[in-house]
Amino acid sequence: MKKELNLKNAFFSFIKNYFVGFCIILLVVITMIYQPRFLSASNLLNIIRQLGPLSIVSLGMSFVIFAGYLDLSVAGTISLVAVVTVSLIEPLGQMGAILAGIVIGTAAGALIGAVVLVVGANRKSEALFISYGMGMAYSALALMYSGGVTQKLGENQKIFEVIGKGGWGILSVSLVIFIVCLIILQILQSMTYIGRSVMLAGGNPVASRLSGIPVNAVVVLVYTLSGLLASIGSVVLVSRVTTASPVIGKTYETNAITAVLIGGTSLKGGNGSVMRTVLGVVLISLMSNCMNLLGISSYMQSVVRGLVLILAIWLDSKRNS
Amino acid sequence: MKTKWVAKKILTAVYRQKAIAALILVFAVMPLVNTSFFTVYNMVDMLKSASVYITIGCGVTVVVISGACDLSVGGIMCLAGIITVKMMGKYPLFICIIFALLMGVLVGAVNGFFVVRQKSEAFVITLGMGALLKGVAQQLTDAHPIAGTNKAFFEFGTGSFLGLPNITVMMFLILITTCCLLRFTQFGRNCYAVGGDYDVAEYSGIPALRTKWLAFVISGFLAALGGVLLTARLNTGASTYGDTTALLVNCGTVLGGTSFAGGIGNAWKTALGLLLFTVLESALGMGSLNAYAKELVIGIIIAVIIGIDSYDQKRKAEMV
Repeated sequence: MKKELNLKNAFFSFIKNYFVGFCIILLVVITMIYQPRFLSASNLLNIIRQLGPLSIVSLGMSFVIFAGYLDLSVAGTISLVAVVTVSLIEPLGQMGAILAGIVIGTAAGALIGAVVLVVGANRKSEALFISYGMGMAYSALALMYSGGVTQKLGENQKIFEVIGKGGWGILSVSLVIFIVCLIILQILQSMTYIGRSVMLAGGNPVASRLSGIPVNAVVVLVYTLSGLLASIGSVVLVSRVTTASPVIGKTYETNAITAVLIGGTSLKGGNGSVMRTVLGVVLISLMSNCMNLLGISSYMQSVVRGLVLILAIWLDSKRNS
Repeated sequence: MKTKWVAKKILTAVYRQKAIAALILVFAVMPLVNTSFFTVYNMVDMLKSASVYITIGCGVTVVVISGACDLSVGGIMCLAGIITVKMMGKYPLFICIIFALLMGVLVGAVNGFFVVRQKSEAFVITLGMGALLKGVAQQLTDAHPIAGTNKAFFEFGTGSFLGLPNITVMMFLILITTCCLLRFTQFGRNCYAVGGDYDVAEYSGIPALRTKWLAFVISGFLAALGGVLLTARLNTGASTYGDTTALLVNCGTVLGGTSFAGGIGNAWKTALGLLLFTVLESALGMGSLNAYAKELVIGIIIAVIIGIDSYDQKRKAEMV
């Protein structure tokens, strides 16, 4: 008996696939009822502005998850790039500092990929530990390099100002950067050999290797991509908050992972898409905004975020088992 | 010919017992760097820190032997201490501690549910759980440290029994119990089997589900106990404890010789590995490195240790 393709079935299958997303939409509706301020123009604009850094980092994280791994070092990479970029504005000028920061972030990601490859971390949990440990090292490097001091951006840093506050109405510059990255990565994932290799290597590494797909290169590539996008996100973040604290990247890795998982990508690897991650990021931003408007304390917010992460992982494994 | 064989044997032994070799190395190098390393005060201090880690490490060892890992131990440790201190004023001390331990058991059971029944990836679930517990701890204390009010508790934490600190005595009791549990009981043997290969163990008639689940419960319980001991020693409950504990304990387990592949290792090996970590932390603190450089070195060491363990397994595994 074929299932009828009607609205009711589509609705229920949407709920089943995007359960966590559905809960967040519920939260949004509840907030709209209790706090009509939610629908104000400034609030909606704020939500779109908030999308910037986290969404860029999540794009990089999605590729790592497509390949079946996780990159837990983004917190350290973001902090390191932030402090290095700001400290290099004097000698290298703004553009030079930004480029140097991005190069360093990408190199940091590539280093992790290389280490994971060399030690043959075929059991995923060991790769996670390595990225976690190196993330801690990068974070400590950031602290050492800056001496624990939060640096402020100077007065006439034009480029940073444009990235942070510039734009035309709803299209803030950070949103434009995000959309550009999104388009490039979507093309990379769906239409290139590299993108297909990543998906296949994530789905079944052994079969992929036997079929001639360079699984080793894929591992290094996804971590490098994650480092690259984390450094871009870090530059955008620094522009927005105009300071570079050595612990600026603190909760980014768990938030990025949560965003990718809420979008429906599986931790197993091999499926998912960049668009799903965008959905996840939007939902996470909405969730943060709603919790702020509802007056929930920031500690409870991190508890809720942890709960959402666990819920997303649980539903993901239920779907796979 | 014979010397080459002997040299090879020695190298293999050193490689296998990385922890002992490294410990000997550190103890040999330290007097050259800083003479106050060998004072009684420093030794006792290191012993007390190590005791807390080793208590938690026993639980984590059981989990790692069963083939998973447990990163929520930091959060459990932190929350257990806070629960104890918060309840101290209103309830007798006994009830507070029971409550904290019960929390550990509950969290362990939830971890076990997700990992074993729902087949989630242990790393991510326990990581998320640890972060969640830390958020709960922050909420309960409003991110301030809270001081304990029970004198007997503090005296237990800082007192000594027959020359050793109370905490160390407790640690030894738990260590011996865990070693015996792993070596002499059916449950212990089941843990090794489940860690070696979950499905094969299940087909052989071992209650694999129950075994792995119980391993998580034990880990949660011992992590809570470690938290109570730590709070007794410091007489404060703070939500900043346990940030790096999870990573340190898991890596100390690996350093001691219990591999993440599961199925090998024992609690005393973990104890050695964690002792090394504590000594290293203390030694680094004494050198001219500042706190951040210390963290950097520890992060690199962790990556190197797991890397070596993983490389080891890669060589042993059959390449398809």
